[in-house]
Amino acid sequence: MLEVAIRKRLREFQLAAAFSAGNELVVFFGPSGAGKTVTLRCIAGLLRPDAGYIALAGQAVFDAAHGIDVPVQRRRVGYVPQHYGLFPHLTVAENVAYGLRGVPRAEARARVAAMLARLELTGLERRRPRELSGGQQQRVALARALVTRPQVLLLDEPLSALDAGLRARLRRDLLQVHRQIRIPTVLVSHDLAEAYMLGERIVVFDRGQVLQVGSREEVWYRPASARVARLVGATNVLPADVAPEGPDGLVTLRTPRFALHARAPAGPLPPRVEVVVRPEAIRVERAEAPGAPSNRLPARIVDEIATGAYYTLYCQVEPAQPAAPPDLEVLVPAPHYVALDLAHTRACALVIPPEAIHLLPAA
Amino acid sequence: MVGPEGMRVVAVPREGAAEWTRPGWPRPGLTLLLAYSAVLLLFLLVPLGAVLWRALSAGDLGRYLTSPIVVDALRLSLLTTLLTLVVAVVLGTPIAYLLARYQFPGRALIDTALDLPMVLPPAVAGVALLLTFGRRGLLGPTLSAFGIEISFTTAAVVLAQLFVAAPFYVKAAQAGFAAVDRELEHVSASLGVSALGTFWRVTLPLALPALLGGAVMTWARALGEFGATILFAGNFQGRTQTMPLAIYVAMERDLGAALVLASILVVASFLVLLGFKLLARARLAPVA
Repeated sequence: MLEVAIRKRLREFQLAAAFSAGNELVVFFGPSGAGKTVTLRCIAGLLRPDAGYIALAGQAVFDAAHGIDVPVQRRRVGYVPQHYGLFPHLTVAENVAYGLRGVPRAEARARVAAMLARLELTGLERRRPRELSGGQQQRVALARALVTRPQVLLLDEPLSALDAGLRARLRRDLLQVHRQIRIPTVLVSHDLAEAYMLGERIVVFDRGQVLQVGSREEVWYRPASARVARLVGATNVLPADVAPEGPDGLVTLRTPRFALHARAPAGPLPPRVEVVVRPEAIRVERAEAPGAPSNRLPARIVDEIATGAYYTLYCQVEPAQPAAPPDLEVLVPAPHYVALDLAHTRACALVIPPEAIHLLPAA
Repeated sequence: MVGPEGMRVVAVPREGAAEWTRPGWPRPGLTLLLAYSAVLLLFLLVPLGAVLWRALSAGDLGRYLTSPIVVDALRLSLLTTLLTLVVAVVLGTPIAYLLARYQFPGRALIDTALDLPMVLPPAVAGVALLLTFGRRGLLGPTLSAFGIEISFTTAAVVLAQLFVAAPFYVKAAQAGFAAVDRELEHVSASLGVSALGTFWRVTLPLALPALLGGAVMTWARALGEFGATILFAGNFQGRTQTMPLAIYVAMERDLGAALVLASILVVASFLVLLGFKLLARARLAPVA
C-alpha cells in the first residue's frame, strides 16, 4: 500500500500530488517537467515535500504535521533511476549484493544467486556494468533493488533510453517481474502506449497537478478534463450545445459545424459541454456507401500523416471550408486506408458511434 | 571504418597509428604538423638531456651520490614531500568534497582562493608564511609562548611545500568528486547504506583516479619547491636544504653534486609521472 498526498513548491510551479495504490503497477504519466520525477523522488526520500504525508505499507515515512521524515536509508524503497545507476566499479554480483550488508554472508550469497536466476542474469556475475547490454543493465538494477525486499519499487523512466525493439521486450519483462513480486510499483513515463500497456493505474500529471487518477480504461476513454483528453491522445475535443430531445434516448449535441447524437449520461447534463472523441473511434467509409446511421458525416480529407501501420487523417465536415482548421482527427489502419483508396479519393464519410462520445462539462 | 551494421565507426586515436592514419604517407599537412611540434619538444627535452649527459660524462658519480650534501638533500626532500603529501590528502580531501557537492555563499571565493597559490610567485608564499608563522609574524608570539618555533626548521619546509602544492591535490580531487554521478549516491542511500558508507564504497573508489592524479601533481610540485622554502625555511643542510636548494648551493661550489641531484630529480619525476600514467591506464581506467 502506497499513500501520497504532498505539496512542494518548485521553481516553475507548485506541485500538488495525491493518490493511493495497492500492490499494483502505477504509471506516472505526463509531459516532461510535469512533476512526475519530483513526486517519485519525494516518495524515495531524496526530496522533501513542503507539506503532506507519504505512507508505505501503512507506515508514515513522511508527515509534515507530525514532523516525521524517515531518511531514505530506512524507507526500504527499491529505487531505479533513469540510467539505472549501476556502480561501474563493481561487478554484477557485487552490484546486486550491495544493499545486503548486515545479512549473513551465506544467506546474502543465496539471495543474490536466486535473484540473478529469476531475472535471467546467471552467468553474468563477474561482468562489469559497461560490458552488459541495455536490457541486462536494467535487469541488474531491478535485481539490486529487489534483493533487499523493498516495500515499494520506484522506476524513473526505465525504458526511455532504449530503442524500440528492446523497449517492447523490457515492458514484458517488467510486467512479469511485477506479477511475481506484487508490491506497489511506480513507473514514470511520458510515453502514452507504455503508460497504457503497463499502468494498472495511471496518474496523469501536468504542470505540477495530478489531473486524474484511474484505471487505464478510465483515463483512456473517460478523461476527467479536456487537458487529460489531449494528453491521452483523445485529440478531438469540441464545444457543443446540448439539445436534450433525440431519438432512442440519445441527446443531440450541436457543435459549431455539425450535430451529433450521444448516449445520455446518468446525471443531468449542463447546457454546454465538451465532446471528446478518440481519433481511432471514428470510422471512415466511402462517401457514397449506403445506409444512413446517425452520426454519419460527409467529410473531406484536408491533410494526413502516415506512421506506417496507421494514417492520421485531418478532416473537414462538408461543406468544407478551405481556410478553416480541420474539424476532426481520424486514425485509420493502413490496410483500410488502401482499401478505400483514400490516397486519391479525398471525399469520405465519418461515422462516430454514439457510445464513443465522452461528454465533459464545458470549461 | 564501417561497423557490422553499416554504421560509421569513429576510430579512437590511441591503439596505434594504423587505426587513425589513412594510407598514403607522406601527407604534407601531417609532416608540417610534426615539424612544428618538434620545435617545442626539442626545446623542452634538449636541456633535460644536457643535464643527464653532463652528469654521466662527469664520471665518478658514485662519489657524489654519497657526498653529505647530496645524501642530506635526498633524505630531506623525500621526508618533507611525503609529509606534505599526507597532510595535503588528509586536509584537502574534505574541502574538495565540500566544494564538489555543496553550494553555499562564498563558494566561488573559496574556490578562487584555492587557485591563488598556484599562480602566485612562490616568493610571495614565502613572505606570507614568514608574516604569519615567523618570530614577529601574526602567530609567532603565540607559538613562541608554547615554545614552538617554525621558521627555519624542517616544519617550515613542509609548510612552504604545502602552501604552494596542496591546491593541486584539492583541485584535482574536487573535479574527481564532481564527476561522480550523484544518482549513484542516491541509489546507495536507497539500498540502506549510510552517507559515510556511500562515500567509502561508491564516491571514493570512483574518484580515486582523479585523487591519485592530484596526489602525484602535488608531490611533484612539492619536490620542486624552491622560492617559498628558501625565504621561509632558509637553506641549512640537513634541516631545510631540500634538493632544489642543494642544487642552487652546489652550482657555486661543487658542480658534480648539482648534476647528480638534478639528474635524480629529472629521472625520478619522469618515472613517477610515467608510472602513474601506465597505472591509470591499466587498472584505474576501467573504473572511471
